[in-house]
Amino acid sequence: MKLGNPELRSRLASEYALGTLRGGARRRFEDYLKRDVALRADVERWEMYLSPLAERLAPVDPHARVWKKIEARLVGASDAAVASEKAGLWESLYFWRSFGLGASGLAVALLATMLTLKPVEQSPILTAVLAEDNNVARVFVEQSKPGLLMVKMVTPWKTMNGMALELWVVPKDGAPRSLGLINDTGETRLVFTGMDEKLSGGLVFALSKEPPGGSPTGQPTGSVMCKGAIAHMPSKLPRSPI
Amino acid sequence: MSTLPPPMPNAVNERLAALLAQAGLGNRAAFADLYEATKSKLFAVSLRIVRERHIAEEVLQDSFVNIWNNATKYAVAQSAPMTWMTAIVRNRSLDIVRRPFAEVQDEDDFFASNMEDGRPGPDDQLATRRDQVKIEHCMKGLDGEQQQTISLAFFQGLSHSEVASHLGKPLGTVKTHIRRGLLKLKGCLES
Repeated sequence: MKLGNPELRSRLASEYALGTLRGGARRRFEDYLKRDVALRADVERWEMYLSPLAERLAPVDPHARVWKKIEARLVGASDAAVASEKAGLWESLYFWRSFGLGASGLAVALLATMLTLKPVEQSPILTAVLAEDNNVARVFVEQSKPGLLMVKMVTPWKTMNGMALELWVVPKDGAPRSLGLINDTGETRLVFTGMDEKLSGGLVFALSKEPPGGSPTGQPTGSVMCKGAIAHMPSKLPRSPI
Repeated sequence: MSTLPPPMPNAVNERLAALLAQAGLGNRAAFADLYEATKSKLFAVSLRIVRERHIAEEVLQDSFVNIWNNATKYAVAQSAPMTWMTAIVRNRSLDIVRRPFAEVQDEDDFFASNMEDGRPGPDDQLATRRDQVKIEHCMKGLDGEQQQTISLAFFQGLSHSEVASHLGKPLGTVKTHIRRGLLKLKGCLES
């Protein structure tokens, strides 16, 4: 059910953002918000208007224990031991926590499969196996020559419900860069100029679920479906005899 | 031939948006940077509403866990990162606040002693400052009672009836001040 009266909608949105809508009324309004995109946009506009007022406040440093408690809540207890092992900047990625020996073995097996499936014209420049947090390998990415990425859906999702899959390269610092939309089954060839510039410095590929046509913002907006570290192949790989 | 200068990039917002995007991909180092960059402002926002440090600390914890879990849903185009995070912290504060009326501070006294000076900080905060200048300009266009009631609600998280009780005014009068004040503010900000 939607709130119909425009005057009421507008008033409640402003009062919710200001904070005067309280108790049961606030909770009921939040139920409406979950279902009503236009109402959410109204609230967001009010939040945008009002939040710069907060700049009036002198900053106050919270105690250092706050961050420790936040960190402890980001991972389950079973992950804590692994997460505490230092392995460089990216030790913190889910990827490294979930992508153990089994998955690496899987990557090698997949790579071997790919190599035997078609004649190798050129050693790959880079490869990646994109897996879910539960280690299920979903997508294989390979660049065999500059300007061309082959993306193979190894384990398709049952249904995408009309959503699109968008591939991103994530550099060490900075925002993810879009590489384009991916078919939800079979192979996708991504060819565009400037690809190597986009890939440079990339550490991880990630696939996010986006509205049809791709992310409206240029940044991932949907959930990350799977991700995987980029492996750069040594340039002087011995050629396999054909 | 003269060319227009490029629009001034908002370095702070862009950096925060990039950190949020990284956090959405599970990058905890980026998330730690995001926390460092925003914790003191967000803690101040919560502390003004809940009034007690240990409760504000809980709010900050819950909010950042929420930010981590929802970072992939944050869309750059819809709101500035600080707006998005401030809303999360304010909503969480309002959810858990239990405050005796007596503890409400008078806004005028508060701002006389605690208000930030207007100097830009060490960061490049020009765009944020521009938004701030704009709303402060529009706030000045409201009459005194509208300013007072809106400030009490925004900063201290007071409900209509709490504002009415604090000011010793009828509830209906306070509601009218806030409603008219917000409409006038909107007209000014959208002009």
